Amino acid sequence: MFKNYLKIAWRNLIKNKGYTAINIGGLALGMAVTLLIGLWVVDELSHNSHFENQEKIAQVYQSQTFNGRTGTGPAIPRPLEKALRDGYGDNFKHLIMSSWTSDLYLKYNETNLSRSGNFMQSEAPELLDLQIIKGEKDGLREVNSIMLSEDTAGALFGDLDPIGKVVKVSNQYDLMVTAVYKDIPVNNTFNDTKYIIPWKQYLASREWVNEAEDQWGNNSFQMFVELQDNGDMEKVSQTIHNVKKDLNEDTAEFNPQIFLFPMKEWYLRGNFENGKQTGGRIKYVWLFGIIGGFVLLLACINFMNLSTARSEKRAKEVGIRKSIGSQRNQLINQFLSESFLVVLFSFFIAVVIVLISLNGFNDLSKKEIFFPWASGVFWLSSLLFILFTALVAGSYPALYLSSFRPVDVLKGTFKAGKYAGLPRKILVVLQFTVSVAFIIGTVIVMQQINHAKNRPVGYDKEGLIQVPTFSQDFNGKYDLMRSEFLNTNAVVEMSSSSSPTTRIWSNRGGYTWEGKPEGFQEDLAWTEVSPEYAKSLNLKIVEGRDFSRDFASDSMAILINETAKKYLGMENPVGKFLKDDDEEDPSPPLKIIGVVQDMIAQSPYEPVKQGLYVFDRFDNSSYYNLRLNPKQSASQNIAVIERVFKEHFPDIPFEYEFVDAEYGEKFASEERIGTLSGIFTALAILISCLGLFGLTSFVAEQRTKEIGVRKVLGASVFNVWRMLSKDFLKLVIISCFIAIPISYYVMNGWLQDYPYRVILEWWIFVLAVVGALAITILTVSFQAIKAANSNPVNSLRTE
Amino acid sequence: MLLELNNIFKWVQQGGQRVFLLKDINLEVEEGEFISIMGPSGSGKSTLLNVMGMLDTFDEGEYNFLDEPVHQLREKHRANLYKQYIGFVFQAYHLIDELTVYENLEMPLLYKKISGSERKAMVADMLDRFNIVGKKDLFPAQLSGGQQQLVGVARALISKPKLILADEPTGNLNSKQGEDIMELFKQLNSEGVTIIQVTHSEKNAEYGKRTINLLDGRMI
Repeated sequence: MFKNYLKIAWRNLIKNKGYTAINIGGLALGMAVTLLIGLWVVDELSHNSHFENQEKIAQVYQSQTFNGRTGTGPAIPRPLEKALRDGYGDNFKHLIMSSWTSDLYLKYNETNLSRSGNFMQSEAPELLDLQIIKGEKDGLREVNSIMLSEDTAGALFGDLDPIGKVVKVSNQYDLMVTAVYKDIPVNNTFNDTKYIIPWKQYLASREWVNEAEDQWGNNSFQMFVELQDNGDMEKVSQTIHNVKKDLNEDTAEFNPQIFLFPMKEWYLRGNFENGKQTGGRIKYVWLFGIIGGFVLLLACINFMNLSTARSEKRAKEVGIRKSIGSQRNQLINQFLSESFLVVLFSFFIAVVIVLISLNGFNDLSKKEIFFPWASGVFWLSSLLFILFTALVAGSYPALYLSSFRPVDVLKGTFKAGKYAGLPRKILVVLQFTVSVAFIIGTVIVMQQINHAKNRPVGYDKEGLIQVPTFSQDFNGKYDLMRSEFLNTNAVVEMSSSSSPTTRIWSNRGGYTWEGKPEGFQEDLAWTEVSPEYAKSLNLKIVEGRDFSRDFASDSMAILINETAKKYLGMENPVGKFLKDDDEEDPSPPLKIIGVVQDMIAQSPYEPVKQGLYVFDRFDNSSYYNLRLNPKQSASQNIAVIERVFKEHFPDIPFEYEFVDAEYGEKFASEERIGTLSGIFTALAILISCLGLFGLTSFVAEQRTKEIGVRKVLGASVFNVWRMLSKDFLKLVIISCFIAIPISYYVMNGWLQDYPYRVILEWWIFVLAVVGALAITILTVSFQAIKAANSNPVNSLRTE
Repeated sequence: MLLELNNIFKWVQQGGQRVFLLKDINLEVEEGEFISIMGPSGSGKSTLLNVMGMLDTFDEGEYNFLDEPVHQLREKHRANLYKQYIGFVFQAYHLIDELTVYENLEMPLLYKKISGSERKAMVADMLDRFNIVGKKDLFPAQLSGGQQQLVGVARALISKPKLILADEPTGNLNSKQGEDIMELFKQLNSEGVTIIQVTHSEKNAEYGKRTINLLDGRMI
């Protein structure tokens, strides 16, 4: 019986090639999109799932309140370690302190690399579940050891056995390789940990870290814990809430709350707002999940519409089968197996589409997704996916077609009733509602990105490069390097700074100034710069003056930005002082000598933060900022710069970044979403149009006789075209009216996440409506004009 | 007794009024009969046939088929009944265009859940009997009208029904082809199959042993 069903289904597919192509093509596209999105969602959800003990791992987080606003983050002070170990150690299987993941230079013989990694305590390999390839798992015991990832070891040592070899780090100290561990997978928070150096080494090589042992206010470190096997995350988190507050009075005014942030939430739910967890990437998982669902729905609707539109052709078969003894459920089974066959075909085509587009998709989404050939779960869920789709797409046609009464259809008088087309119309409206909403959504995302991109950054980011100077080798060399670089003519201006132009790495408070409100807890961005900073960035001085080497007193001078001027509440800031409020051992007061224009150093979607630019007295920079000579090509300039750099720092790899490209990275996430949703929107529209195209051709076919009669009676091609197009245009207009409020509501909500955002303007919606109508007219017209041009004699003769 | 209709009424509502399609039909059919139903267009011939074939319902009255009260049966049960005992022959043949002659003949057997080997034998038997073995792999569109109707009759017969209901079986055929089909019916009847046919033609009606005349839904 089943064979018979498939046979009939197959012959029907072969016989109506156009219909089949539209049906299978549309479904395959829809399923491909859904598959891709499915793979993406699984990848997102499986972030960090590499850890077997994921459920038990957490990072220690801290919330503090400044001026009524609570900030939450992973930065914690060093004394917390002792407090937790002494007071609550029983709860933890492992507890490790860690530095931030940062770049260091690793050198072996002539090979010199820059790699990111961490300083961590000795239990890190246990907690991180590192897979040791060579050497010992307990490789962080000795202060002079280093563990390398497989990839880093390969790059440094090639085919040599790395164990026992000595690596020079940042040209300062020698470490012996004790272990090589398997690379931590891409979709893992610790993916960037390419090396691990013992925490003891961190203390030994950095004085400020060593000094931080008792500094409760110095939140510059990270801590990870793994609970005991029977530990309850929530409970432990509760018990340590007030540990810092209880032990340290100085910082109690900020109400520090310590808690455990479980690993399974790091990636997808990492946003905190005013002390509350507010989600994070999970919103994009939902967004794309919903898009995938809708695109599949659109494709299913095509199937339903085309199947029921062809009902008159299938009606006779239904009648005959019923009169021969078929029961309704047998017919339902038959039509469902037909849809199963179609969906199965579509699935295989979809898999091919996915295979072809996976590379491009990975590039766009910045993922490394592989097609899960070997995954049983994948094939099982694919089977369920196929069955589900077949059921969704096939159920309505099956119920509809199998409901025909044989007497009606066999008499030959069967015509789909007046309301038979109504569900079809509703489905078309649904399709175009989704499509129009997608169009509006995509346009708004793009607009928001452009809006932020066009926001003035406050400095000239073109032709500016930044060179990292993370080694102590650079100390005291700034003046020399500046004159060397300027002499080459490749650089027209140069400065140094303690953080990159596109970031803020340091924040400070604890000052007093004239007119400071009582109890005000200030939080100021802190950047140490060389005197040429504003000049090299083309940052405008709006009040006062720039740093000058002519004034020796400028070593204790600062520039503030415009926001800081407002923040500090100073009418005329120039000449005023910021004084350290530490009464026992105050550092010298800072004299404000000028106000610079606001520049965007953080998110382009947020207001500029109040900031101080401080004269870098100790030449302690992290970056050189070089303004390239605009008269020469960038590559020429950089070649020269590299040569000079190598002359002075032969042991340090020359690295540089274009500031505008770095700045562009800030849009990467939004642009990715914009591009992906743009592509999905285009596919959604394509699928909807395919369906519409198929539907029009059936309607035109159905009304062949009517068109013939009308033409005989004098209707023009235009009249006929209008008659056929009008019905569909009506549906699309209804869709627009439904889609506009929905998309307005949703997109308005999305924009609320961005303090600097575009204003939703009416023309976006008009544009979407006009676009949807234009696409509809184009799609419908092809068939309508074809039908209108047919010779009426042909259509009337057949009667 | 094969079937029995008692006081059958069927009507539709039109503008608040009942329009009767069948009015007080009383009819008994014995096994082995050959009945022709005649009457002008719209007199209810086909409706009566469809009611007897259980494809259509009625509004009032009783219908017993082999002593089963059809008017009280559920759809599934009813389908089983006509699947087993009734074969239909249509004016427009109503073969499934996408299936070959062989597959069209096989289809009723599929719905009766007959095993594969048995099906094969029965279809081969039928092809042989109607002399259409050479056409078994052709599709309906590749046959003449007479041949298509031959397949139609063969399909009706394949499940060995007690009753064949034929709705103007020769309506779309030329006179020679029509005669062949009627001769076939006569022969089947002589083999014991009960036949009820609807026809416009006096000549075809004469093949039957009994004629029922309908006018405006009434037997006269």
